[in-house]
Amino acid sequence: METVIGIRGPDFVMLAADCVQASSIVVMKSDHNKIHKIADKIAMATIGDAGDSNQFTEFISKNLALYKMRNGYELSPKAAAHFTRRNLADYLRSRTPYQVNMFLGGFDDKEGPELHFIDYLANAKSLPFGAQGYGGYFSASILDRYYHDKLTEAESYEILKKCVAEIQKRLIVNLKNFNVVVIDKNGIKNLEPITSVKLDAAIAAAQGAQGVRAH
Amino acid sequence: MSILAYNGGCVVAMRGKDCVAIATDHRFGVQAQTIDTDFEKVHQVAPKMFLGLVGLQTDILTVRERLAFRKKLYEIRENREMTPKVFSSMLSNFLYERRFGPYFIEPVIAGLDPKTSEPFICNMDLIGCPNVPDDFVVAGTCGEQLYGMCETLWKPDLEPDQLFEVISQSMINAFDRDAISGWGASVYIIEKDKITVKKLKTRMD
Amino acid sequence: MARRYDSRTTIFSPEGRLYQVEYAMEAISHAGTCLGILSSDGILLAAEKRNINKLLDSALYSEKIYRLNNDIVCSVAGITSDANVLTNELRLIAQRYELNHGEPIPVEQLVSHLCDIKQAYTQYGGKRPFGVSILYMGWDKHYGFQLYQSDPSGNYGGWKATCIGNNFNAAVSMLKTELTDNGSIDINKAKELAVKVLSKTLDTNKLTSERMEMATLRRVNNKTVIDIMKSADVDVLIKKHEATEAAAEAAKKEKATTSSS
Repeated sequence: METVIGIRGPDFVMLAADCVQASSIVVMKSDHNKIHKIADKIAMATIGDAGDSNQFTEFISKNLALYKMRNGYELSPKAAAHFTRRNLADYLRSRTPYQVNMFLGGFDDKEGPELHFIDYLANAKSLPFGAQGYGGYFSASILDRYYHDKLTEAESYEILKKCVAEIQKRLIVNLKNFNVVVIDKNGIKNLEPITSVKLDAAIAAAQGAQGVRAH
Repeated sequence: MSILAYNGGCVVAMRGKDCVAIATDHRFGVQAQTIDTDFEKVHQVAPKMFLGLVGLQTDILTVRERLAFRKKLYEIRENREMTPKVFSSMLSNFLYERRFGPYFIEPVIAGLDPKTSEPFICNMDLIGCPNVPDDFVVAGTCGEQLYGMCETLWKPDLEPDQLFEVISQSMINAFDRDAISGWGASVYIIEKDKITVKKLKTRMD
Repeated sequence: MARRYDSRTTIFSPEGRLYQVEYAMEAISHAGTCLGILSSDGILLAAEKRNINKLLDSALYSEKIYRLNNDIVCSVAGITSDANVLTNELRLIAQRYELNHGEPIPVEQLVSHLCDIKQAYTQYGGKRPFGVSILYMGWDKHYGFQLYQSDPSGNYGGWKATCIGNNFNAAVSMLKTELTDNGSIDINKAKELAVKVLSKTLDTNKLTSERMEMATLRRVNNKTVIDIMKSADVDVLIKKHEATEAAAEAAKKEKATTSSS
């Protein structure tokens, strides 16, 4: 039911995730944050079994913190993604697999921005952009159409808005709010959430403007 | 649907005259959805040896990493390079260790012996039963199509450039009839003193 | 006195000592000498070979210098069988890290991990400590070239130049004077220095390539290059050293004769 989207620009990574926490057919909460900061310049947007998502992100982030404490330097985003995948793959063949899908976004001071797709089977791939969950079916074509390799942060945010608008228009599930996070050389920053209220207002304003011109 | 066809993809290897060739497609998908189009299923594991893995992507990565672990330890302890024959035995034993909970992959090995330059191709099923023919081996979601193409195009003692033509045409015409393979391909021609890599542009749908 | 306390490694003596560990250190100070020098553009390890019987099969590539992975090399002083167990362990640790993180293990983490094992053997009952000191040279992306030394107690430290095994005190003080005089040196100077120090500290009249081995670790085009030197190349170094020694000797004599006349 849930959706996560990731975009890698030339000097940043942007992650978006919906904010719904549902139990069976009931929406329990619609401001639940699914993007977790797991290191200074690494964030993880997770969907899947709610308990597993929390436990697994906690497990990874505490391991990264332990690594930093022991060695005095952090794991690079690439190594962190590898470590995450390794653990997920090992758990997959244990009696207690974690049901989590995620995008891991990070910024490496030497290598630049990185975006990693990882699903619950521990399929993993570094990508320029991608989307998972039901919203992924509606976002993929929009990302394909508007992505280019000189993307700015503002353009990237606009693409995310287009994706969210489409999801809210076509997906039967009500995903009202999307949290957005950007990671660049300065660290992790929360952007203004994309909400159906704001998107509707923007559409109304645009139509209003057209209406005026028509007169 | 078989778990071996969850991500899609195909690999083929052929023997020529004093050379071998191995080719892979580029698609990485989750069932019918294409996620990315630059996932190479063939990896260079030694100066003159390539390993192709198709099947469940998570297991492609895991098997690749775990084999690298064993191979590096072997080479550092023995202080010599692994031959394709030894490598395929190691892979076979590795896969059979998981006989009752296998890695969902099908491997293909292509290479030349580092000392004698004898061509070697080999494939296995997911629990490591080896098959070492002297013509060609195929694996992946369009294996049947690949068999058909290879059977018609391949002949003994092909020169490297002829082998490239044969393997490329086999690959392209096989995976164009498969929805979950394709999106470009890479071909590696391995000769005694050089390795040629060529990227094939194919239909992208 | 010691007899009551050294039957187990886990027991302190009333003076607060762990005899078995001290004995292990003592054993090492009789073993073949190993030295390491950190230079501006690479690192060097040199080791004394004790087994120089002509009947030995020369299939073994090197006796005391071991490659651990693409970026790290070690040389050992002490009980060879113990050392084989530890080098095997080191290689496993390095590969295990690479499996889990997808990148080579940083040098200090490898050393520290092995030292945890060494330490355990000084504490758990019924075990004897490993009679091995190790010099490690390696490169990683965090701290570049590094030289470490570890001992049977599980202690380790990073060095600019150091020495373990027979006569290590003399060698270390020689290295100290040579390096404080000259400051930072390059790898070629380090090679010459290694030959000089070994020729003075080994108890033989004449140093030969049969009695020592040498390895260097450098970075070329962003790749680590490890060179376990051939005996012919070591011979060249030794010849050069002998020539400079002879020249210095002659100069000294010259001076002596001129001053006496």
